[in-house]
Amino acid sequence: MDQEIVRTICYLARLEIDEDKAQKIEKDLETIIELIGGLSSIDTTNIEPLYSPLEKTALKHEDILNSDNQKEKFLQNAPNANDDYFLVPRVVE
Amino acid sequence: MSIQFKSMVELREMLDTKVISSEELIQETFQLASKLKSLNCFVTMNEEASMRKAIQIDRSSNPKSLLSGIPLGQKDLFCTEGLRTTCSSKILSNFIPPYSATAVSNLESAGSITIGKTNMDEFAMGSSNETSYFGNVHNPWKKDFVPGGSSGGSAAAVAAGIIPAATGTDTGGSIRQPAAHCGITGIKPTYGRVSRWGMIAFASSLDQAGPLARTAEDCAVLLNIMSGHDPKDTTSLDVENNDLTQSLNNSLKGLRFGIVKEFNLGDLDPEVQKRFEDSKVLYESLGAEFVEISLPNISASVPTYYSIAPAECSSNLSRFDGIKFGHRTEHPEDLTDLYIKSRSEGFGDEVKRRILIGTYALSAGYYDAYYKKAQQVRRLIKNDFENAFSSVDLIMTPTSPSTAFGFGSKGSQNPVELYLEDLFTISANLAGLPAISIPHGTVNSLPVGLQLIGNFLREDQILNAAHLFQKNSEFHLMKPSMEDFE
Amino acid sequence: MTWETVIGLEAHVQLSTKTKLFSRASTTFGQSPNTNVNLIDCGLPGVLPSVNKEAFYKAIRFGMAVGSQINQTSIFDRKNYFYPDLPKGYQITQMDLPIVLGGTIDIETDEGNKKTINITRAHLEEDAGKSIHDEFEGYSAIDLNRAGTPLLEIVSEPEISNAKEAVAYMKALHQLVTFLDVSDGNMSQGSLRCDANVSIRKIGDPKLGTRTEIKNINSFRFIEKAINFEVKRQIKQLENGETVTQETRLYDSVKDETRPMRSKEFANDYRYFPEPDLLPVVISDKEMRHIRDNFPELPKDKEGRFKSEFGLTGYDAKILASSKSMADFFETAAKDLLNYSLLANWLIGEISAFLNKDVIEINESKLTPANLAMLINRIDDQTISGKIAKSIFEEMYLNGKAPDEIIESQGLQQISDDGEIEKIINTVIENNPAQVEGYKNGKDKLFGFFVGQVMKETQGKANPQVVNELLKKKLS
Repeated sequence: MDQEIVRTICYLARLEIDEDKAQKIEKDLETIIELIGGLSSIDTTNIEPLYSPLEKTALKHEDILNSDNQKEKFLQNAPNANDDYFLVPRVVE
Repeated sequence: MSIQFKSMVELREMLDTKVISSEELIQETFQLASKLKSLNCFVTMNEEASMRKAIQIDRSSNPKSLLSGIPLGQKDLFCTEGLRTTCSSKILSNFIPPYSATAVSNLESAGSITIGKTNMDEFAMGSSNETSYFGNVHNPWKKDFVPGGSSGGSAAAVAAGIIPAATGTDTGGSIRQPAAHCGITGIKPTYGRVSRWGMIAFASSLDQAGPLARTAEDCAVLLNIMSGHDPKDTTSLDVENNDLTQSLNNSLKGLRFGIVKEFNLGDLDPEVQKRFEDSKVLYESLGAEFVEISLPNISASVPTYYSIAPAECSSNLSRFDGIKFGHRTEHPEDLTDLYIKSRSEGFGDEVKRRILIGTYALSAGYYDAYYKKAQQVRRLIKNDFENAFSSVDLIMTPTSPSTAFGFGSKGSQNPVELYLEDLFTISANLAGLPAISIPHGTVNSLPVGLQLIGNFLREDQILNAAHLFQKNSEFHLMKPSMEDFE
Repeated sequence: MTWETVIGLEAHVQLSTKTKLFSRASTTFGQSPNTNVNLIDCGLPGVLPSVNKEAFYKAIRFGMAVGSQINQTSIFDRKNYFYPDLPKGYQITQMDLPIVLGGTIDIETDEGNKKTINITRAHLEEDAGKSIHDEFEGYSAIDLNRAGTPLLEIVSEPEISNAKEAVAYMKALHQLVTFLDVSDGNMSQGSLRCDANVSIRKIGDPKLGTRTEIKNINSFRFIEKAINFEVKRQIKQLENGETVTQETRLYDSVKDETRPMRSKEFANDYRYFPEPDLLPVVISDKEMRHIRDNFPELPKDKEGRFKSEFGLTGYDAKILASSKSMADFFETAAKDLLNYSLLANWLIGEISAFLNKDVIEINESKLTPANLAMLINRIDDQTISGKIAKSIFEEMYLNGKAPDEIIESQGLQQISDDGEIEKIINTVIENNPAQVEGYKNGKDKLFGFFVGQVMKETQGKANPQVVNELLKKKLS
């Protein structure tokens, strides 16, 4: 696989592969892509994609408040937070 | 009387006739689980809360429901309020959900007791339960053999007789295949039948929750309770939920069973073929008629699935970023480093592979060729089933091309090898159809399963067929010897 | 070399629904951090979105008002990228099949130039949370209150030719969305923001130049300044023979310049795909009819009604009807008084001057309709003079106090008693014999001097008509 493509998809997915595993994982990716590439031989002209097995439409909800303040619960679960906010390393825009 | 290997119906009888109290039942369940620890079925045990509920049930004078006091395992993919939920991943190894999945609360409100969270393939990605952060699960039938996956822990716990039933999830066969490898019964319902609220998402358009148990009857009882419209899940069906136990004993006379031409069953292991043939004969003796059907695009199921599922999962797993919950890397240099290290440290290799494939399949320039193409082929596969169901009521296949195999013996060189294990089960997920696996014998002393695929919303029919099979055979009564584990 | 500017605007309008687009948590602004957040907004594992129908109805009202095509079946898609204020790691938006397609908005610049701008599309999407970068040493703090708030993103065709047209377009949008009850339009609270795509080309060149995107501009003034700066910058680059880099920029209002956002190593590929947790959303014909039948009153109709119901002049009616917040304020205050034209004058004159200086809407100020009505009534019933009213008003505006309170505490009641004023006039006349002489000798302008002196003596509280009458008598 093109090294550039591997680098790009790793960055898009925010994943890094260990040096020692890199070759194997790349080979695995190639094999899987070959597998799914096999679909190209199937004729799908004028076939609508099926994004969900259900041929139904979304339930719409009323605009009514149904939620309470759970700040403590959420911040408690966070790996790095103070009393009010989730914290991440400083971002420079 | 030992509780090991008892079905739900049998335990209900024991409780109702006061042979055992709820408290005693739960105590013995934990003792059994402890004794059989080496199976590694459970990630987290729930002793205190379980004992409390059992004692409460004993004290209460309220009439007991079917599930009152019945110990169940919940696959560690379901959020359970206050009880650690890990998806067998390092990235969630310390996650305590503030809410419970609908499927779980349905079962708990019906009186069941969640005794623990069962082990699984990490984030449900796998067919052998060899990718868990908490270690492999053993097949109770043979040590160091896989129980199947991804609901390996649930299947093993039921097969080993620790609990009568457990919940699982099925995205490409993850309930049916481990049920087959462990010699028990497991059903994946119609997509939308059971709410996905609280079920940590792998592939949203394919995931479904369902029960694993010792009998089809038990599965019917559990599925009744797990099912139902949930407004919190937009993909949840709003249909009348008929009582699936009502039709269990319907006659099979005239029921048309389809055998899929393209599956080339003649190419399978002769022993596996023989079991299949024998089951066909049994069904014929019960009045079923067999018809050959064609699903012309069925051989595309595996590539189709491995385009769609990784794509959806690559997006579903983006929320694991070390910021709001879960594992976070110790000393991130900056934000990007935080993301990359937290996720790379937290996810196992199979999960990473699938996220990368999924990212690739969705990326600019590849979307049409992979993701969109796969969804188009998916429609072709669904259409094939619709055509087939105009001439048959059920479709019968082996659940898996082979029996359970030894740890590390498949897929370590080439992941696709493992993917092909899902050959028979995957298409039901793509089309959203219900499917059940029941044990129908052994090959080399390891269980093999029979799969019945039903039409949209026809769980009643496949449960009916499964139940009558079990009434007229004893395969579901098989028990592993367990000596390697005691 | 004459250059032509091409501008396309993407406006993000926060919808005034009570709850969020995909969860039933509150959208109320200004709450303490992370308190308007529920499981769904936080992106916890296992949660699923559910659609707010009111958000659709508001989007459709907008579409109907601009004459667009409403897609009664529309689809949500996922836009995948990583950023701390985006809890799920993807935003749910609409890509291929948005709720609204096409439409037009008529604009008129403050120089009187009229133009029709075409809208490409408008779609629903969820807003992200907020990041605060400079409050905690070494950290950025994330507040998810805003995460999940419904946004209507309105995309214009690149038909805007300069900063003034851009401002006129955004003002027209603002008026529309407030009148339609689609958004509260409160720009200081972030209810209306825009991204400006700006490019330059030689006049006559059919090809578009390279464009830059200036993100997240949240006031009309900044829109004008940012665009002007960017146009100048790009023209300068092109005139120097350089090429414009396609990039995202931010407007710095302190330095009055745009600068590039920190460049990312790889261009972002959002990998859009249809949201599998939501199915296509269908709006029935019945719902469409209901929306059409319950359309809010738009400026033109309001203008007519203000003329007929309140007897306002055409000019006053037009101005008051052009701003929803102003129009609503007028109608509420009008309930408590009868002198509609005096109320109108105050709103259009004095009050608008104050609001413009502070660049706020009337509903963002401390004034209340009840207080203003009280002030008008006090002028009408002669408790205070128009002049005193102006100083009372300042106090009302700055502190939100009621006029009666101010009048009472400062003893500002107008003096209208003839006897009292006569006494003061006599004193003034006695103390200024030279001016009396001058006036009697024909220097008419000195009348104002006497009025001024009486006012000074009474701290401005003397009733001007009475003063005039009595002075005339005394000085003749």
